[in-house]
Amino acid sequence: MTTRRTFLKGAAVLGLTPAIASAQPSAGKVVVIGGGFAGATAARTLKTLEPKLDVTLVEPNAVYTACPFSNSVLANLREISQQEFRYDGLKRAGVTVAATSATAVDATAKTVALADGNRLSYDRLVMSPGIDFNWGALPGYDEAAAQKMPHAWKAGAQTTLLRNQLQAMDDGGLVVMSAPANPYRCPPGPYERASLIAYWMKIWKPKSKLLLLDAKDAFSKQRLFQNGWAELYPGMIEWVPLSKGGKVTSVAPATLTLTTEFGSHKAAVANVIPPQRAGAIAGQAGVADRTGWCPVEPVAFESTLRPGIHVLGDAAIMGGMPKSAFAANAQAKVCAAAIVELLAGRKPQDPILINTCYSLLAADYGISVAGVYRPDKGQLTDVPGAGGVSALEAVGGLRGQEALYAASWFRTITAETFG
Amino acid sequence: MSRVLLPVLASALLLAGPAQAADAPPGASSCTGCHATTKIADSVIPRIAGRKAADIVTFMREYRSGAWPSSVMGRIAKGFDDQQTNAIAAWFAAQSE
Repeated sequence: MTTRRTFLKGAAVLGLTPAIASAQPSAGKVVVIGGGFAGATAARTLKTLEPKLDVTLVEPNAVYTACPFSNSVLANLREISQQEFRYDGLKRAGVTVAATSATAVDATAKTVALADGNRLSYDRLVMSPGIDFNWGALPGYDEAAAQKMPHAWKAGAQTTLLRNQLQAMDDGGLVVMSAPANPYRCPPGPYERASLIAYWMKIWKPKSKLLLLDAKDAFSKQRLFQNGWAELYPGMIEWVPLSKGGKVTSVAPATLTLTTEFGSHKAAVANVIPPQRAGAIAGQAGVADRTGWCPVEPVAFESTLRPGIHVLGDAAIMGGMPKSAFAANAQAKVCAAAIVELLAGRKPQDPILINTCYSLLAADYGISVAGVYRPDKGQLTDVPGAGGVSALEAVGGLRGQEALYAASWFRTITAETFG
Repeated sequence: MSRVLLPVLASALLLAGPAQAADAPPGASSCTGCHATTKIADSVIPRIAGRKAADIVTFMREYRSGAWPSSVMGRIAKGFDDQQTNAIAAWFAAQSE
């Protein structure tokens, strides 16, 4: 938006403003499916960069509940209402919001069928459907089971349910979490969650313990998390990796039991983070491959399976870039600029993208991972020598500083996304 | 900045019309994930829009070398060479504060 403002300022000096301000025909139609960090950013940025575009966001929910910082809701550090965002800012920017679901995409006819019976045509389609759960992949775990053993991996009612279960738990009760194999939304999320549940238990349920069953042997920011657990919560968090029998093979919601290859664990509170894939509409549109995720090229994030459809955020396979809100927002801004170029018949430039992802281990204890990415051999690749995690030796109040940065980042990214 | 910017704008206008979506140099749009385009209440992360280009370049260079301590910016600055950093700095400097 500042680009345009700067431009207009320059244009005004040149005496050319009237030519720009005069009404002009549409520069094209873009439909965006899904109003999370990627989709809302894409819609708003498209309209800001090129006001003559017709931009429609298809999003059935009036309120978006953000996942970043939702682990702090579990620890009673925040209210769920602080996670909620609306689309008024997008409407103010000139985006048309269709408050319904997309039911089918026809990539050949370039149309999107909506649940309300309408059909939208597009020149370019942006799909940012987020994740869905692979309900069949973990025996015993389905939508009904999620009411007993919440996933809380889409923020909202599930977050509140898990928080209520934790609060009702007897002191001394065992919390059992299960973390999936890669890839999944928010790689460090399960470990931040374990940390913040321990933070809360240390105050309110000091005899309780947390068992974290993991379908992998390594995880994001691992040494920082494990050092922090030893420092802050000695003896409270037990992490069981894949090689020690951590992979959960089935669950029994009636008895809150999680079974691994090595044995069974009965929980007082169970948090099952199930295997995931791109949101279902991606499969219907033909942009998801056999992995369940969506391959894209690394400049405009156009599907390699269906031309004219761009896939962003958690649903997409973005090379080295993780599935984070920061990444989704960054990809959306690059994609929006590229779409404006493509619709004008120009070639988009090769982008550079940044990801920064904060995790909290306590209210005043933050860590981060960062990366810089560019297209290389057909996919987004880490720029060598850049990125990495927070220093292992924290000097000068670094952990407290990063906790402050995390909170500021959340306020910024939500304002940048939703306006 | 304006002396540099105006000829650029003028030529852009003549050659390509008003929609200059790609005039943000590579990497610049990611910065606003933390450095907000609008004023954010209670943010400890400084905005960079409207800062002097030379100052942004200095910060990036010193973070990159490690001469100035940082939490995350050193890790990010290492992903950009001088030319890329200069372009991003000029772009933010050209914006209103």
